[in-house]
Amino acid sequence: MHELVGRITALDPQASETLKVISYFDTLITGGVGLDGLLRGAAALSGTVAGAERRGRTSRRDPEGRLLGGTTGQEPRFPVRPCSGGSVWLEREGPAHANDAMIIERLAFAVELLELHRDAGGALEIGIDAARTVNDRTTALARLRLDAGTRIRLIATSADKKIPGAPSTILPTRYGILRATLDTTGDVPLPGRAGLGPWVRADRAPASWDGSIVALRLTDASTPTVDATDLGVMLMFLQAHDPRVPHEDVRALLRLDARSAAVLRVLVEADSVRAAAARLGMHHSTLQARHEALTRDLGYDPRTTTGRTRYMAAALLQRLTDPVPEPKTAPEPGPGRN
Amino acid sequence: MSDTVPRPPLDPELEAALLLVQDQVPTITPELIPAMRQAGTPVDVSDDVLADAGVTRRDVTIPGFEGADIQVSVITRLGRTGSRPGPGVYHVHGGGMILGDRMVGITQVLPWIVEHDAVAVTVEYRLAPESPDPCPVEDCYAGLVWTARHAAELGIDPERLIIAGASAGGGLAAGTALLARDRNGPRLAGQMLICPMLDDRDESVSTVQFEDAVLWDRTSNRTGWSALLGGRRGTDDVSVYAAPARATDLSGLPPTFIDCGSAEVFRDEGVAYAAALWRAGVQAELHVWPGGFHGFDMIAPHTAVSQSATAARRAWLARLLDA
Repeated sequence: MHELVGRITALDPQASETLKVISYFDTLITGGVGLDGLLRGAAALSGTVAGAERRGRTSRRDPEGRLLGGTTGQEPRFPVRPCSGGSVWLEREGPAHANDAMIIERLAFAVELLELHRDAGGALEIGIDAARTVNDRTTALARLRLDAGTRIRLIATSADKKIPGAPSTILPTRYGILRATLDTTGDVPLPGRAGLGPWVRADRAPASWDGSIVALRLTDASTPTVDATDLGVMLMFLQAHDPRVPHEDVRALLRLDARSAAVLRVLVEADSVRAAAARLGMHHSTLQARHEALTRDLGYDPRTTTGRTRYMAAALLQRLTDPVPEPKTAPEPGPGRN
Repeated sequence: MSDTVPRPPLDPELEAALLLVQDQVPTITPELIPAMRQAGTPVDVSDDVLADAGVTRRDVTIPGFEGADIQVSVITRLGRTGSRPGPGVYHVHGGGMILGDRMVGITQVLPWIVEHDAVAVTVEYRLAPESPDPCPVEDCYAGLVWTARHAAELGIDPERLIIAGASAGGGLAAGTALLARDRNGPRLAGQMLICPMLDDRDESVSTVQFEDAVLWDRTSNRTGWSALLGGRRGTDDVSVYAAPARATDLSGLPPTFIDCGSAEVFRDEGVAYAAALWRAGVQAELHVWPGGFHGFDMIAPHTAVSQSATAARRAWLARLLDA
């Protein structure tokens, strides 16, 4: 039937077609069409070249949808309308057509929305950065339509795990490059291993982000999701840890070979040295000698109450210190970081 | 639009473009055919437009099915000299077997003429229901035979003659290619079947999914096939030349290009035809453009997906014709 309809033509130069223009752009916006598609639409509707300048970069499309090369500087930019990061225009020779103003208004609106979406990552990055002032953070969060008092949490995942529909950004952390995803509902679908930060007011977002990073480090194949809230007071302790400068107790554990580490764990967990020897299949006196050696190496006796606690704390921090495997696929560039 | 059947969504740029034309596209019923013909086609292919595209046209009366007079137009590059034969494009227009004329869809062909110094012949086959099957496909075949016989004087290299058509024209092109194979007729170097109408049986998944498509819905499709086949539509009494989807042996056909949209009635028959060609050992290139409605690239050529579709056809032609 297409043969009998023919290609769409530019709107009537005389008759106002406001509703058509609005629904045309609404369809493009809803469909997530990018700048080029928006310009193609504006050019097809207007029957003349449509252009945009964003951050000093100019794009122009003709009514056939073709990408046009650089400008000569002689083309009319009329009508033109500023929008965030630059401006949009038609290249109308002579008087404006009936729908030009509406086309440019909707084009500008659609580009604004793109910017907002594109900046979501950048805004989130600022919003969760503890080094920023509260004022900077709340301004950035406002761009994500968040009040300072909104309850939110951050979700930490590997950089390649983009959660559809949730604002996210990729940023370096003390545990490598991770993706931060904003959760305002609690029902964001989790993509495999994820650390959930504690729920906080939006203006305390950095605390949630920090908690989510720690929680992610505690995930493993059998526990793919860890909620920082479940860590209770341990979270504070874990957050204080700097993996680049581990405490001497952690270093001591890192120096142990696998067999010694296994012996140590059983020694700590067992009710008695004799029971530990039975579990390990070692002679009691042999284990006694290993126990004394371990006490020397660690600088404390792991079977005393304090020693047990020190061991547990150091072993937990050791999990934060171990390198995690890199994601197998290259991370997608985050919004706002292109 | 149906809420119960899952189906691929439209490409957003195409969906937006559809908003502009949906008022112009009725569901076609038999009663509507006269009015649709009266309205004609909106595409301007006057001599001036052709000249702007760098081509010129002349009309020739030739013998059609059972010797009846039919018209063809021969379209060549402006200023072409007959000294060196070029590729030939035998074109079959679309229009659901019931509508349109030989200049419908020709705008797609014009760039090929210019780019490859090709000679196009486009045929005014007689339309159903006044001229039911086998008249349309036999007219098309007669035009192909005439073209091949007059290749030398037309400036066509007989080794590089292809057949091309969109929609019903794609179905008729496929049927004509089958006739040429089975009658030891003109040897084709390729067939380009653009969103072809191949199957009268009205039972594919895409037929159900796009029952209410804005362009070429299921009712319109039944109207076209019923006009062509009458009471034979959907029965065992339909030849492979009328409905090439029914062919069980596609061996010996030329290299084939097939495209369609993922959001149209003709999707599954196009895909099945490509699969049957491969099964028969024939080279075929298949493109199913995501979110494309029927004829999307002609209605909304400015969109990204249309530009890809057009580029794919040109690339196939270039490989075939410039070899």
